[in-house]
Amino acid sequence: MNNRLLGIFLGTGLLFCLTIFLTSYANNVRLPGNDEGYEPVQPVAYSHRLHAGELGLACLHCHSDAGRSRNAGIPTLQTCMDCHKFVTAPILDIRAEDERATAAKEKPRRIVSAELRKLYAAAGLDDDLRPVQPDGTGAGAQSIGWVRVHALPDFVYFNHGAHVSAGVECQTCHGAIETMERVRQVSDLSMGWCVNCHRGANATGVGGSAVAAPTDCAGCHY
Amino acid sequence: MKNDHSGGGGAGPAVGGPRPSPGFNRRSFLKAAGFTLAGAMVAGCDRRKVERAIPYLVKPEEVIPGTPTWYASTCGGCEAACGILIKNRDGRPIKIEGNPGHPLSGGGLCATGQAMVLSLYDSHRLRKPLLRGAETAWEEIDRVVTGRLTGLSGGEKGVRILTGSSPGPTTLAAVEAFLARFPDGKHVTVDALSASAISDAHEACYGRRFVPHYRFDRAKVIASFDADFLGTWLSPVEFTRAYRAGRSIDGTTPSMSHHVQFESRMSLTGSNADRRVVTRPDEQYRLLLRLTALVDRRAGRSPVTPDPGPDPAHEDELRRLAAALHARRGEGLVVCGSNHLPSQLLVAYLNHALGNTGAAADLASASGCRRGSDAAAAELLRELDGGGVGLLIVCDANPAYDWPGEGTFAAAISKADLSVVFASHANETSSVADIVLPRAHPLEEWDDAQPVPDLASVRQPAITPFGETRSLMSCLYRWAGDPVTDLEAIRRHWRANLYPRRATAAGTFDTFWNDTVYGGFARLKPGVASPGTFNGSAMNRCGGPGPRTRELVLELYPTVGLLDGRHAHNPWLQELPDPVTKVVWDNYASVSPATAADLGLRQEDIVRITPGGVALELPVLIQPGQADGTVAVALGYGRMGTDRFSGVGPEWFEAVHTVEPGETVGRNAGQAREMREGAIANWVVVPRPTQTGGTRVLARTQEYDSLTMPAGLAPEDGEPRPIIQEATLAAYAVSRTAGGHGKHELFDIWPDEHQFPNHRWAMSIDLTACTGCSACVVGCQAENNIPVVGKDEVSRNREMAWLRIDRYYSGDHGDVRVSHQPMLCQHCEHAPCETVCPTLATVHNDEGLNQQVYNRCVGTRYCSNNCPYKIRRFNWFDYPRGDEMARLVLNPDVAVRERGIMEKCSFCVQRIQEGKIRAREEHRPVADGDVKTACEQSCPAQAIVFGDLRDPESRISKLQSNPRMFRVLEETGTAPSIAYMTLVRNEGGADG
Repeated sequence: MNNRLLGIFLGTGLLFCLTIFLTSYANNVRLPGNDEGYEPVQPVAYSHRLHAGELGLACLHCHSDAGRSRNAGIPTLQTCMDCHKFVTAPILDIRAEDERATAAKEKPRRIVSAELRKLYAAAGLDDDLRPVQPDGTGAGAQSIGWVRVHALPDFVYFNHGAHVSAGVECQTCHGAIETMERVRQVSDLSMGWCVNCHRGANATGVGGSAVAAPTDCAGCHY
Repeated sequence: MKNDHSGGGGAGPAVGGPRPSPGFNRRSFLKAAGFTLAGAMVAGCDRRKVERAIPYLVKPEEVIPGTPTWYASTCGGCEAACGILIKNRDGRPIKIEGNPGHPLSGGGLCATGQAMVLSLYDSHRLRKPLLRGAETAWEEIDRVVTGRLTGLSGGEKGVRILTGSSPGPTTLAAVEAFLARFPDGKHVTVDALSASAISDAHEACYGRRFVPHYRFDRAKVIASFDADFLGTWLSPVEFTRAYRAGRSIDGTTPSMSHHVQFESRMSLTGSNADRRVVTRPDEQYRLLLRLTALVDRRAGRSPVTPDPGPDPAHEDELRRLAAALHARRGEGLVVCGSNHLPSQLLVAYLNHALGNTGAAADLASASGCRRGSDAAAAELLRELDGGGVGLLIVCDANPAYDWPGEGTFAAAISKADLSVVFASHANETSSVADIVLPRAHPLEEWDDAQPVPDLASVRQPAITPFGETRSLMSCLYRWAGDPVTDLEAIRRHWRANLYPRRATAAGTFDTFWNDTVYGGFARLKPGVASPGTFNGSAMNRCGGPGPRTRELVLELYPTVGLLDGRHAHNPWLQELPDPVTKVVWDNYASVSPATAADLGLRQEDIVRITPGGVALELPVLIQPGQADGTVAVALGYGRMGTDRFSGVGPEWFEAVHTVEPGETVGRNAGQAREMREGAIANWVVVPRPTQTGGTRVLARTQEYDSLTMPAGLAPEDGEPRPIIQEATLAAYAVSRTAGGHGKHELFDIWPDEHQFPNHRWAMSIDLTACTGCSACVVGCQAENNIPVVGKDEVSRNREMAWLRIDRYYSGDHGDVRVSHQPMLCQHCEHAPCETVCPTLATVHNDEGLNQQVYNRCVGTRYCSNNCPYKIRRFNWFDYPRGDEMARLVLNPDVAVRERGIMEKCSFCVQRIQEGKIRAREEHRPVADGDVKTACEQSCPAQAIVFGDLRDPESRISKLQSNPRMFRVLEETGTAPSIAYMTLVRNEGGADG
């Protein structure tokens, strides 16, 4: 009886170990809470590679609170519309339409890409960028529910402003965002990872100037 | 697995415990457990829940998500109208703090004011108008009311508006304009905590009805007869701040006012007095007459009022006081909390005769607090009973609850043709009204206030109203055919009336208005030029004292926090310990030990008191320092709707309801009062109470009252425990270390001291300044997400407050002295808690903080056992937020602790981090005052100083050399970071 029970337990344990071993190769499984490699599909296929990489927009252009608040902030729809009320489709598509129109000797039509159409719908606008609800109340506008990529547990308090003002590059934690088509979490955001960076920063400074990065518990946990 | 405690831990050898059965031994158990754990980890490896991050469509310009926005406004907790700053995070107010720039209240704010933020998130608030009990639309209300109004313009029946003293200048103007349209329109002001006799006395003496603006900072001698001015009387925050300003002893010559308190119950103010004279409330008029006679004689006049002759008990005290007041003519102040006209006439006369009226009793500047008239309200009651009122509008008053006599006002209201009641919750008055209109919370509305004539302040909304609320002014303007918004009405009134009186000449109205909204208040030119001349014939109304009686007297008093009961729906205030008795969640019949012995009463026995036809059944509390032959009962309890708190606190098998379902918190004692001589008297003669035979548990947060050691433990000289240092001013003037217990011989078992390379945070608490008002307790609760646990948990000593105020009695029964001592984590340099934590969940950091790391804590509670200050709190449960909406008040910068972990004061580490980060963003070092803890910020007396000892210029560094500094239990070698400062009392009145 005893040996049989033990056998069942050990057998189950072995099976689990095997599963861990195999899946860690197949799917890069990590401990619970470690979301390294998380790359969710976003409601609008916004490309950081295009905006931050190719076009060279500064991170703080859209994430303008990163330098002064706990949260970096997700840009408001208004920020998107500052440009996208003029840019309604990829430039190649617009150029193609221009060439087609020139060849066909007609007025070029407005080209609206499928992704930007989602943006305009969120802003309550139709393809001609006129309000869907013409009453002027802005009714019908519905903010986009982006999927959060980087999240820390509730007992950790991270402050973007403190890091940006100390001169830490966004890429230090977020990786080469400007090369990512879809944002992926490249760091494990674990405590060890945080503290190692803090220790290194205290030893070598950030951007040539000395910093006092906390390594005590109350730096982040309160 | 849970049952086998000897093996479940997995670490260390198993010692003791049940022997493992031979069939399934320890070793196999551990193996199996290990595999199960591994399995569970793999099973938990799924991808995390999808979280949405939803940005604004168009961001308001001033809002930065994750960063607080502050709005200056005016407190709506009581009529005092203190200046406040509202902290908004991500669109919702989460904390209220005092406005440091405010001329009256300074940066302080009382417990009530700070707790107002919680009442905003109350799902029991009314949201829609009710017409005869049924929800309806505002258009329907407008139609019914205006329909009724057209029938009233002939003047056959009266239009009456009944309010408290809260309405500001614009609302008053709206009321006046509205009533002017009717031949018989009248505005009646009534206060539940009435000071009607003060106004009446000044009307008799100066021909103008007003409450003087008392300025305690200008008074060198303060004689208070039952006025609880530090706790509940008129404007406690302003008075506490001023009182503190008049008692600063750290200069080269100590300068400290001398405060004598005559009172029957132990009030917060009395507990702070230099001399406290215990007297029955019915004896106070006699004492005032005697004092007047003594003062007159000293001035060489024959007494203007009857002289009752030497008082057998207090003659020496009265003579001393008369001498002190006479010697300090023009620098004294006599105040009286009794609502008895002859007493108030004597007080007005004394201040006049002593020349105090130009200084501390400021007559040129009338206070806006409690300007109600009990006589006018009684007249309204008669009119209602006579059926002569066609329309009654009630706002900011609850007469059916607190008017003397059971049910008198409720019955009268139903005789009005149409009664309209504004109420935030369904209350006693609204339940008998035809129309109930939802009242906005003070954080939701535009309003204004004018606490004194030369200061006006604006209240601005910090959030969109939750309900379909409309203010009194907006309704009145609309019903008068002038529909304006509150903001338009206020701007219009200010432009016409207040802007021309502005103190600074320059600027357009718009800049004046914008500055006012930005700063919260505007200084105006003083309105009244001359206070008028004193009419001596008024003193003829002061008759001789009545005969002495030995009858039992019932005294009714307001409590700090709940006041007249308008905040009864606020669980923070219900669970705020009374500053003196430390009881929560109840009112009780407080009696002196001698009276209890006389009547054969024991603590917590339920007694039945029957004042004038009202029956009160309350548990007994034996209170040292109370006058014999008196019973004191708190007002503000027994409010309708407080049965909602029956389920407050955790649910478990031994849980006891905070109140039985269907019952209210405490009992309503307001109706036990009676109208006497044109005012609501705060005491009545009652027959001997009878015991019902039952008992009721009183939950108290402190059950040890004395600093004197128990006889068996005391050393031979009977020295009290050296937890508080006390000294008299006379002794202090001789030696600045007076009262000190001497330096302890300290030795250190720790070879390597902590290093503090950048900051070292420390705090000092001045016990001379601290009044025990408990503002810091609620400030801490709001800042640090401290849950409400309910009466049962408190009675099991499981309250969660990080900051408590210990109150100790000393002296004998006749002369009980009280010391208040805020007690919170001392952040010991050699912390006993740190050495015993097996998981290193409580550790020291390099800034002097004793950190509590929630995610490491496993809840052994060793730290709490080893803490000599008993300031650690254990989460026995996941405490439910009584109200679903109450979660919205949580501070997002502080973790909500879960069941099974320890917590304690963190020195507001979130504020320290914020201060450091702000300094870093601005590329400057952290300056003194950048980091203020919540308790320090809220303290009206500025008793708490927090700062960095590494900064030699900081206030806290400079205080280190103060000879009054001492540390609690210093001899145990814990080296606390909190230093207290000796409590100095000016007992002799020997002021330097």
